[in-house]
Amino acid sequence: MRTLTLDKAGLASTIQDGGRLGTLHAGIAAAGAMDPLALKAGQHCLGHHAGEAAIEIAYGNVRATPSHDCALVVTGAPAMLLIDNESVPMRSIQTLSAGQTLTIGPPSEGIYSYLHVSGGFNTHPIFNSRSTSPREGIGGLHGGYLRDQDTVPLGDCAPPIDTDGADPGLCSIEQRDVLTLRYVPGYQYDELAPALIQRLNGDHFEVTSKANRMGITLNGPALKTGVESLLSEATCQGAIQIPLDGNPIVLMKDRQTMGGYPIPGAVIESDCVRLAQARPGQKIRFAACTPQEADNIKWLEHHYVETRLR
Amino acid sequence: MAFTIGPAGDTAMRLSFQEPPSPRLTRLLLQLQRTAQDYFFNALSDSVVGYATLTLFFTPLSLQRDQVAAWLEKTARSLSDSQETHAAHSKETVVLPVFYDPAVAPDLVTLADDLGMTIDTLTTLHSATPYFAYATGFAPGFCYLGTLDPRLKTPRLSTPRQRVPAGAVAIADQQTAVYPCESPGGWRIIGACPVTLFDLAATPVSRLAVGDSVRFEAIDEQTYRSLGGQL
Repeated sequence: MRTLTLDKAGLASTIQDGGRLGTLHAGIAAAGAMDPLALKAGQHCLGHHAGEAAIEIAYGNVRATPSHDCALVVTGAPAMLLIDNESVPMRSIQTLSAGQTLTIGPPSEGIYSYLHVSGGFNTHPIFNSRSTSPREGIGGLHGGYLRDQDTVPLGDCAPPIDTDGADPGLCSIEQRDVLTLRYVPGYQYDELAPALIQRLNGDHFEVTSKANRMGITLNGPALKTGVESLLSEATCQGAIQIPLDGNPIVLMKDRQTMGGYPIPGAVIESDCVRLAQARPGQKIRFAACTPQEADNIKWLEHHYVETRLR
Repeated sequence: MAFTIGPAGDTAMRLSFQEPPSPRLTRLLLQLQRTAQDYFFNALSDSVVGYATLTLFFTPLSLQRDQVAAWLEKTARSLSDSQETHAAHSKETVVLPVFYDPAVAPDLVTLADDLGMTIDTLTTLHSATPYFAYATGFAPGFCYLGTLDPRLKTPRLSTPRQRVPAGAVAIADQQTAVYPCESPGGWRIIGACPVTLFDLAATPVSRLAVGDSVRFEAIDEQTYRSLGGQL
């Protein structure tokens, strides 16, 4: 069996693909790559189909050795890559021979990098997905974050889809003083105080270090709702949840499927990706958009991505 | 019944009834959910019933938002106006054995004290009436059961526990639940249930579903152990 051994697993590495569909009603998170564009870019380079998984790496610092020669590509947050002691570029196919060591350093910007290996990772799928949801202990190699010395089985190199192997140039890391997150108003938007909505729309917030695959806590003018809890209902990707302390949490891929805090709306998917790659300290601004605008953005992005992957 | 329909981000639409939770409302939501699943079929990626809401997940690449909104409006109106009771299928009551004992329930003694009753009274009240399953979520297989006897109404722990064991039977506000898997949690633990409620190898994976009727039955230590319970 071909395997990849993680001599160093990094801070919070997990196996991720596009995530699960249709499990929310059972209380199981969708999971999936925090940066689906970086996932797609690597799948495209190696000629993988869209269901293939990669290792999602937060803040780099991973060292890996394969049992057999393999082709690989690293996408997402740009980091220094070494094969043994030789520096190699990101986003281009590299060959790693059996026993050689790939080192992924800390990224210069962004958070999540993706290590794709030809043939994919052959862990046991749960509900048609290999994605890991560590909070639930579901998926991936053993349900949790990858650990030092974990050995991940590799797929048996199904004939790749014919691509030219070129980097499709999809990027979700934005260098901006203030990152704008477009959101669709909904849920309790109409019931919250106009002054609170004004602050949400007008003020700047900041990404805090309380950020993970479940949600990203922002700091800014406290949005005091005075509401301790509401009747539990389904949460959605990007939901801006406001707990009693007034610091909004934008819910991400491993969010709890039900929530009971006031929600004035939800950040659109494509801006969730930019937020996922934003580091603590990044300034944030919210901008309301209509559902129709959100749908148009999704169509345009879908078209753009499909064009780049052709 | 009055309701509102609105977006839940760019991935879902949400229907919310302006009505207090009740088994009748939940049955209506379940009927709406089934009808939506039949109507939209694969174009729906998921649907989730809350206490007073139904959220339909899809992408604009598969369904038009206005179409979903119009369908929800029409169907919710006709279903909620119909005089039928929404007991689509009367399910059997699921009976869950519970070992009520301080050995497995760290909050039992203090809670009985706080509520000014004996442990016996507390557990008798908890196991006296069947509960209704209003929603699943929070964690895989976690089912919100209500409504608790008002005499047992209790706030959550001010600091949630980092680790609540699988099988913990707990109460908070006027709800009760069994933690299907080990997880953090802020509800007060009053017993332990030896039955597996969530199993990825089983179909369905979750023993309980929204709309179920659930009753707890007190068991002694020997029975608890023989059913696989651990101290």
